[in-house]
Amino acid sequence: MAKIIQHQIFYPNPVTDVWEYLTVSELIAQWLMPTDFKPVVGHEFQFKPGCMDGCDFDGTFYCKVLEVTPYKTLSYSWNFKSLSGKLNTSVVNWTLTEKDNGTELLLVHRGFEGEQMLPIFNLMNPGWAHHMTKLSEALNPETSLTANA
Amino acid sequence: MEQQRLDAFQVIADPSRRQILYLLSKDSLTINALAENFDMSRPAVSKHIKVLQTSGFISIEDVGRERYCSLQQDGFKDLQKWLEYYDAFWANKLQKLGNLLNEKAKKE
Repeated sequence: MAKIIQHQIFYPNPVTDVWEYLTVSELIAQWLMPTDFKPVVGHEFQFKPGCMDGCDFDGTFYCKVLEVTPYKTLSYSWNFKSLSGKLNTSVVNWTLTEKDNGTELLLVHRGFEGEQMLPIFNLMNPGWAHHMTKLSEALNPETSLTANA
Repeated sequence: MEQQRLDAFQVIADPSRRQILYLLSKDSLTINALAENFDMSRPAVSKHIKVLQTSGFISIEDVGRERYCSLQQDGFKDLQKWLEYYDAFWANKLQKLGNLLNEKAKKE
């Protein structure tokens, strides 16, 4: 599973072009989603992908511009609400690096509350079966078989 | 007692509940053994344990006279689902961006 959401891609375009596609709302709409984004620190904007199957989500991403360094970095908060109305937070960071024949674009999406728990997810892959087996030894053999399966 | 259903992020937003999960990531523990790690009252610890159980992060089994808590994967699946969703989401969107930029580069 994903431990951190990070994508690095090279585009054969000047950094100015890539920056435009990240910061001009009409251009963002072409590849990401329609939005009222403006490259101004403190500006609040939204994306509305609608509800998604199987996700406890109200259909809107609530964002706020946190940092703008033209042609270099851009970051915004990326918050989402569960259907019960509780807010979950995360942050999207874009880093542009000028290369000889184009631009390297790095996206890091992090800061989820759950992120701090990732070491436990990792422990659980081998660890979970072990804990369950251990507990099951005290229970009936059927449960032990299930836990070992 | 009113038990509000919390989403996965809310459940682990609480430091005490995170601490309980960390402790259980090492070993299954009885409720009493867990409570020894906290300054708060035993009922307060029990309440956190109840929240973790309701949301599928832990299971409780009676072994003899003791109640053993263990990690359970269900609760973590919501978090995993979101992370997987975003991973695929961005991969897809960046591909689209690449196509647009490619067309632009060709025109120039």
